[in-house]
This record gives sequence, structure tokens and C-alpha cells, in this order.
Amino acid sequence: MATLADSFLADLDELSDNEAEVPVEDEAGVANMEEDVDGDLADLETLNYDDLDSVSKLQKSQRFADIMQKVEDALEKGSDMSNHGLVLEDDPEYQLIVDCNALSVDIENELVIIHNFIRDKYRPKFPELESLVHHPIDYARVVQKIGNEMDVTLVDLEGLLPSAVIMVVSVTASTTSGKPLPEDVLEKIVDACDRALALDSAKKKVLDFVESRMGFIAPNLSAIVGSTVAAKLMGTAGGLAALAKMPACNVQLLGAKRKNLAGFSTATSQYRIGYVEQTEIFQSTPPALKMRAGRLLAAKSTLAARVDSTRGDPSGNTGKAFREEIRKKIEKWQEPPPAKQPKPLPVPDSEPKKKRGGRRLRKMKERYAITDMRKLANRMQFGIPEESSLGDGLGEGYGMLGQAGSGKLRVSMGQSKLAAKVAKKFKEKNYGSTGGATSGLTSSLAFTPVQGIELSNPQAHAHQLGSGTQSTYFSETGTFSKIKRI
Amino acid sequence: MSYLLTTLTTKQEVDSIIRSTIDKVLVLRFGRASDSVCLLLDDVLAKSARDVSKFATVALVDIDSDDVQVYVKYFDITLIPSTIFFFNAHHMKMDSGTADHSKWVGAFRAKQDFVDVVEAIFRGAMKGKLIVSCPLPPERIPKYQLYYKDV
Repeated sequence: MATLADSFLADLDELSDNEAEVPVEDEAGVANMEEDVDGDLADLETLNYDDLDSVSKLQKSQRFADIMQKVEDALEKGSDMSNHGLVLEDDPEYQLIVDCNALSVDIENELVIIHNFIRDKYRPKFPELESLVHHPIDYARVVQKIGNEMDVTLVDLEGLLPSAVIMVVSVTASTTSGKPLPEDVLEKIVDACDRALALDSAKKKVLDFVESRMGFIAPNLSAIVGSTVAAKLMGTAGGLAALAKMPACNVQLLGAKRKNLAGFSTATSQYRIGYVEQTEIFQSTPPALKMRAGRLLAAKSTLAARVDSTRGDPSGNTGKAFREEIRKKIEKWQEPPPAKQPKPLPVPDSEPKKKRGGRRLRKMKERYAITDMRKLANRMQFGIPEESSLGDGLGEGYGMLGQAGSGKLRVSMGQSKLAAKVAKKFKEKNYGSTGGATSGLTSSLAFTPVQGIELSNPQAHAHQLGSGTQSTYFSETGTFSKIKRI
Repeated sequence: MSYLLTTLTTKQEVDSIIRSTIDKVLVLRFGRASDSVCLLLDDVLAKSARDVSKFATVALVDIDSDDVQVYVKYFDITLIPSTIFFFNAHHMKMDSGTADHSKWVGAFRAKQDFVDVVEAIFRGAMKGKLIVSCPLPPERIPKYQLYYKDV
């Protein structure tokens, strides 16, 4: 790893012309690439990019060759499931399958690297292409077809891309700012494209093999989602154990395509769902229930994968039971709701009425409350006949109203309790700020916005009439007296 | 005759239903299946039986059977259909401005009228009254004439 350290140093010191010492390994190349994203572009170019071999080593590796050979042999031999012993792990075919899974993950990583390589090399020629065609294999194919051609309309891209994309590509190509590439760069690019396509076909072979053996490896999982999808899931996850460890929400998203092309509508893109979309169950559910079905499938297939990873049920019956359960649930969702029966009337007076309360209700009730004048009129003093409207005991009686001793003939409206509270708060807010020490100018007169200035404290009156405990039979202000009436 | 409502033909059945409905108004219609007014009333009863099911039970009594003649005599049923209300085995009377308070003679104009009457009876009974006043306006109450014989 000395070269790795050296190359890091080289980045830091910006001694960028160290091309000689840079036959670094794969991981170093990846790490450097990630670092250089915000580093100098000069550094990027001087690092190993001229040589594809130093970036992508997988195809030349021994491991790759071995496994591919074995896979092809096994594919030719056909499926041979008769002799798996009790301990599956000892079976050489199982080992091969495990290796295949790891290999398929490696191939995918490799493809990403090669794609980046092609993209970077092709950028001077046609920079917009990378944002139009996202998929690495499609990109490689398109690059291969276009080559060094300046006029893209002459190139036939039918079958490689959907026609809408072809149209966009041709339009962009006509206004592109790219220039044709030098010959050696072009050669490298073509080589890289070939490499990418070869890797892709290798991956397909590996997947086919895994799929054919899927019933043997993971019978429960393939009972639910089918062997194709099961193989894909396992390949993407990196093995049955890895798949079993994933939570169901991740399994749902395995294989989901990432972004939509800019400019195309996102209305058709469903919520993220991956390989699970290709299962037979998902395809046959009505579109309204597709999301729920997808989630359900992912959940059950995760459980099945867990069963399979521990070889809990080699016969695949658990998977079949899950499949049945899924089918039943989806059917139940599609049932119409039960018919609404008219409810019988509730028993009268069984539910107590909800009485409201609060300030609003109190204020409303105040409008109909008994006024002080009426209160006075209802009461009578002991021993004094009350005056009446028609005189002589006829008509309405006036009670204490206007009697000597009650204070006055005209009864002023005492403050209602609510207004009293408000006045108190108002007073506190304005005058309470003086604190403990009161200045000599404060008075105990009550200034209220309701009545203006009154020399007598109106709160005293309200008190007097409101409370029933204080009796007004015996006047507070006057004494026993006899007044002659004329 | 409605098929949704139980028809009672024997005295024993009438007894048992009166005794067994607890805390619910029992509505007994005395009448014949062949009479047109009876059919009207039966229709209204059948349709509202489910709505009042939480506080009332509805049953039909056939006055043509011999067994129930005792009741016909006791309640003095001369005009059909006659509806008699019970609550917890007490006979409930209702003052609807007519001559006879102990029963309701005739059909109801609408389902809601019947529900209102039953509710009034229920409320009165829950308060402990034995006679309640009718909540319907006089134009919705069927009028009839009683002829007194030898009185």
C-alpha cells in the first residue's frame, strides 16, 4: 500500500505529474476517484485513466475465469438436483452458487467503474449523452454505435433506446458542443465498451444459472416470487444470507430504477418498487392495490428468504403457504364493503345533552339575567306598604324601588360580574405596575370605561344586590325612620 | 299482514309477550289481516319496527281467534285497528283529544307519527306517568265516533 500512500501525498502536495508511480490497484483507483471529485481535474487525468486495465481488473482475474467456466459447465450439464445431502453447504454446487452471487455483485461494481471510464473519455465528444442515457449498458451500446460520428442522425439507434429518447439524443447531438476524439482515445473507448458488454453477458449467464438452481437453493422464496425474480434479488443482495438480513422495506427496493430522465413527466413513475414488480402476483393485482400488494410481497418474501437461509423448510411448503396467504389477502381487499344497514333510533333521553359553557355563554346569559332594578322591585321592606303603578295596591308593585333607605330612586346599573373581572384586570395592568410603593396621587376611585367617573364606587352596589346573604330588609345606609307620605 | 312482525293468536302468547318485554314499550295492534286500514297500519308498523327497536317492540294480535276474545272484551275493542301500548306490563294511556284514551284507533299517517307517539309514551313511562299527551297535531289524529249502548 505504499503506492496508495504516495498517491495520497501526491494529491495533497499537488505534485500532479507523478504518472510513473501510479499503477495502483482497483480500490485505490476508486478511492482516488471519490476524493478527486472536489479535487483538481488535472490530478484526475494524470491518474491511471489512460489504461483501462488498471481500472477494471475483474475480467482478467483468475477468479472470474474459474467461476465462468464452472457456470458454463453446469449450464450445459442441466439441473441435477437429486443428490443434495442433509448439509447443503458441503455441496459443491451450492458453493458455486454462493460464489456466483458474490461475483454478480462484483460485476455490477465493475460495470459502474467502466461506465465512469467511458463517460469521462467520451465527454469531450458528446457531454450531454450521460444525462440523457442513464443505464450503463445502454450508454455503452450507444457510444459504440455512435463512435466518432459527428452527425448522429446518420446513426441508427433503433432497438437500443426507446424512440422518445432517440429523438432527444439526436436533437441534443445537433447542438452539442463536442469535438471529435483522437484515434487512440476512441480505441480505448471501444475497448471499454466491449468490455462492458462482455461483462453484462457474463452477468446474464450467471443469473441464468442461479435461476435454474433457484428451486434447489431457496425453494420457499421462489415459491412466492418465482425463480427469475428470486435469482435477481439474491444477486443484487449478494447472497441468500445477505438477503435474509435485510429488512423488508429494503427488499422491496432492490432493483428499483433510480431517476427519471429530466424533462419527462414523473406522473407515470410509481412509488419505488424494485424487482418485486416483475412477479406474477404483482402483475395480476389491480393498479389501485399495487402498492399494498408490493409491500406485502416484499414482507413475505423476506420471511421466506430467512427460512431458506437457515434451510428450515427444504420442501418449499412454507413458501407455498405464504403464496396462498398473499393471494387470499389480495382477494379480501377486493371485496366490496358490507351493505349499510339503517341504524335503529337511539333510546330517548339516554344520551345527556352536551351543555356548553365558557365566556361566550356567560355573556349571552347576562343579557337575560335579572337586572338590579327588577331585584329591587321584587323585594319589599318589612312594614312599609309598597308603591304601585296604578296606586293603592293596584297595578305592578315597585317593591324597594324608590324607597327611602335604599339609597336612590334611580338605580344605576351595577357592574355585572364579568365586567367587574375585566375592570380589575385592566386596573392591575395599568396601575399595578407601580408595585408596592403607591404614590400620593393614586386614589381609590374606580375609573371604568363603562361608566366614566363616579364618585361612589359602583362595585359596592353590585355586591350589595347580588349576594343573597346580605339582606336589604334592614337598610345599610339608613336607620328606622318614619316618613310621612302625602 | 306483515311478515316481519310476530302475530299472536293465543292468550298465552299475549301474556308472555307482555310479561317479557322489559324496559321497552310494547305496541300491540288488534286487528284483522283482511281490513284495508289494518293493512295501512301494518305497513307503517313494519317499516318502523327496526327504527324503534331499541326502545319498543311491535306485535300484532289477530282478533278473530277465540283465545284472545278475553282481551278484546277487557280493552273494549270495537273499532279496528286498535293499538294498545304497554310499558313493563302497565297499560299506558294517551290523551290524543279523542274519546278513548286507553287505545289508539286507526292508522298512522306517516312513519314519523308512529315514532313520535312511541317516543312520547316512552318518555312518559320513564318518568313514571301512566297517561301521556299526544305529541301529534289534531289533523294527523284519526277521528272516530263512539256509540254508547245502553249507557
